[in-house]
Amino acid sequence: MGVATLAFFEIQDLTYYYPTRDKPSLDQINLQISEGEFLLVTGCSGSGKSTLARLIAGLIPEFYGGRLQGKVLLRGVKLQGRQRSALHTEVGIVFQDPERQLVMTSVEAEIAFGLENLGLPRPEMFRRVAEVMTFLNLLPLRDQFTAALSGGEKQKLVLGSVIAMHPRILVLDEPTSQLDPVAATDIFNLVESLNREMGYTVILIEQRLERCFHLADRLVVMEEGKIICDQAPGEAARWQVKEGLPFIPPVARFFAALSPGSDSPIPLTVREGRRELQNRLPSFPPRVNKRDCRKKSSAQEQQKPLLLQARGLWYAYPNGPEAVRGLSLQIREGELVAVIGPNASGKSTLLKLLAGIIKPDRGTVQLQGINTRNLPPSEMGRNIGYLSQNPNDYLTRDTVEDELKFTLENFNLPDNGIGIKILQRLGLDHLRQANPRDLSSGERQRVALASILVTEPPLLLLDEPTRGIDCRLKIGLGSLLQEIASSGRTVVVVTHDLEFAVEYAARVVMLCDGKVACDGPRQILGDSIFYAPQMARLFRGQAEGILTVDEALAIMQGGGAGACQDA
Amino acid sequence: MLENFCYKHKGAFLQTLHPVAALTYLAALLLRPLIFNHPLYLVGILLASLLAAVVSDALGEWFSYFTVGLWMAALVLFLNPLLCQSGETVLLSLPSLPLIGRRFFTLEALCYGAAMGIRLLGVITAFALYNTLVHPDKVTGLLSRFAWKSALVVSMSTRMIPALARDLAAAREVQQMRGVDFSSGNLRQRLQKYGWLLELLLVSSLEGSLQTAEAMQARAFGCGPRSHYRHELVRPRDYLCFLSGLFALLLSVYARVRGYSAFSFYPKLAQPAAGNIVLFWFLMLMFCLLFPSILAWGWQRWPFLRSRI
Repeated sequence: MGVATLAFFEIQDLTYYYPTRDKPSLDQINLQISEGEFLLVTGCSGSGKSTLARLIAGLIPEFYGGRLQGKVLLRGVKLQGRQRSALHTEVGIVFQDPERQLVMTSVEAEIAFGLENLGLPRPEMFRRVAEVMTFLNLLPLRDQFTAALSGGEKQKLVLGSVIAMHPRILVLDEPTSQLDPVAATDIFNLVESLNREMGYTVILIEQRLERCFHLADRLVVMEEGKIICDQAPGEAARWQVKEGLPFIPPVARFFAALSPGSDSPIPLTVREGRRELQNRLPSFPPRVNKRDCRKKSSAQEQQKPLLLQARGLWYAYPNGPEAVRGLSLQIREGELVAVIGPNASGKSTLLKLLAGIIKPDRGTVQLQGINTRNLPPSEMGRNIGYLSQNPNDYLTRDTVEDELKFTLENFNLPDNGIGIKILQRLGLDHLRQANPRDLSSGERQRVALASILVTEPPLLLLDEPTRGIDCRLKIGLGSLLQEIASSGRTVVVVTHDLEFAVEYAARVVMLCDGKVACDGPRQILGDSIFYAPQMARLFRGQAEGILTVDEALAIMQGGGAGACQDA
Repeated sequence: MLENFCYKHKGAFLQTLHPVAALTYLAALLLRPLIFNHPLYLVGILLASLLAAVVSDALGEWFSYFTVGLWMAALVLFLNPLLCQSGETVLLSLPSLPLIGRRFFTLEALCYGAAMGIRLLGVITAFALYNTLVHPDKVTGLLSRFAWKSALVVSMSTRMIPALARDLAAAREVQQMRGVDFSSGNLRQRLQKYGWLLELLLVSSLEGSLQTAEAMQARAFGCGPRSHYRHELVRPRDYLCFLSGLFALLLSVYARVRGYSAFSFYPKLAQPAAGNIVLFWFLMLMFCLLFPSILAWGWQRWPFLRSRI
């Protein structure tokens, strides 16, 4: 007979309303978390994931206000009133934006900040700060200004300053959404080690699942404030494929879709997947000739007229290193190009150089054959739609509709109904009269995009457009960009999201250290060691040119042509 | 350019000082231009400050402040003889001007203006050294024992200023690409465009501050009595620099009270040749001010000295 174990943290029949909202953000939530568990929470934007994280961290309702019904129990004891706000000794939380979480100016002082707040004696603080800095390898940075750290280092520092407080539960609200894949892997490795080796209970809220799905003991999927799925990752993957939900990484989705009726465990990692593929080898199709694919798409690209040409670009920030070093690039009409690479590889700088926001120290950028140095800013703005990483920089008007009108007025363009069409296409039609500042981050991102799409510029330069948006919105954005490209306009997307890049872009440019490391059709990512998408790693050595789940399914079901997508 | 106005840790000798030692030394550098008007002393202070910047590898930062100060000093140099009509040696007689009448440029007023200009440069470069040599966290750590809330506000503001400058530049770029031309239109229209930017920055900062407040609450801020982590190491160099700074302060006050540093500009310039007593006090004070820079120079070159201090 089994003995019922007491949940470490438990939420019972909990409903929560933010102040001034009539709709609950958490609706009848029931959740049990055992000690040492790794819980992965995912779902659409606005589904209540972050609200759940804040509830667990004791910030709701103490920080936000609002109405709360139901129970929160810690070790079986109901938390009431101010007890919930005292949860910070039990629960630590890391938010999305590391920049906004840092308080002090130096690394060491930042780690000590929470310990000072707890009123710990100095020897105890010294011990904890020293341990955290050693464990997270922050010792070389101890005297650095926090402002001078990279995004990955900042997030690592935030994580360190939270674990120095010795919480029992670690809540991470999309901690890698602003990091490149290498820095994100670093953070996930740390989180895995904290869970497996140190025994921390981890609640991870994440949209990019390919690096963390296999770490979880349970997957919780949320929709409209409700928990619609709470199962082990393999079972959850099978259920989602049946329900048509997208919150599954490519390997799990592929195997769940390959044998939907089977009860056998679904591989969650590339290693497990490759073993499973070995078992299916006898029925495996022949290799796809990747050279032919490349020749074909390359020949197609050459036929399109040249839109933008960068020759020998050099750029160094004042008192900073050279960000772009002798870079040359040609972009043709109708192309959808993804620019990838690690942080500080010069991607955003390149985009600003192409947009004419900054002028190259040496070299030229030609837009339709004209040197952009000779084009006035208004002409550049009319021809180039530029989306920066921060959508808030676009939001100056009182309503969403006015944001679009504002851009049209600046360029003296008539409003012939294009604004409404774009808002409908981006699913923002119902928010026309809303104040952009009242919207969620995903919605703000789409408003910013709409405000540049409204002039229908021939060239779109987008810097991290998928940051902070969920799988469904990402699919919508990808299809929209493909539509734009197929209508003859050109799109250049800087992204850390490799799965997005291989799914939608026809060409990939990889930057490293301010130079082009490689440039070619999307299939080149299949050869990459660290930047290959999951499906390419799964099929490496077995079949070439497979980058997406659809291509893999096509090839497994006797096809093969799908692996060589037309640009 | 903006980075030159922020602290950068370079591991220089003067940057490693205990905040009390560094602040005493900088207080001596700051006090002297405020209480002295003898040109010899004023030029000496400027030289001491320049040397401190040289040994701390902070010449670029020092010159950024110096350049700003130079324009202000030039203004003082020009305005003083125009506004002050004292002095007996008339160099130039201006024609009668409406409202202000007839003006004379006198040698004495010009020299006084020059001395005031150098005094201003002395004050500005003392602040330049403070900004380049003292880590803000060290000062806030020192203050936090007495007024931790104010210390925290100072620390957060220090972080915010460069971030605000970055955000402003980014928002301007974005709005420019959206067709907002900041260089066109009359003054009212331009002000309106910049008004949008400032509004945007204000709203974004408020949103950001809410996020920071949330992160602070999650890290137990305000949950009870705080303790203090900062504990700066004290080395022999800190005693030496603290004592030299303290001596410089005391000697400065003594020299000022005894009138050794006095110099009269009006009605006629005093004899430029300084008396022996003035020179003695000047050299004493210069030694106290230069001592930390000499130590820094030796610290860089002699491993033995480095190991001892």
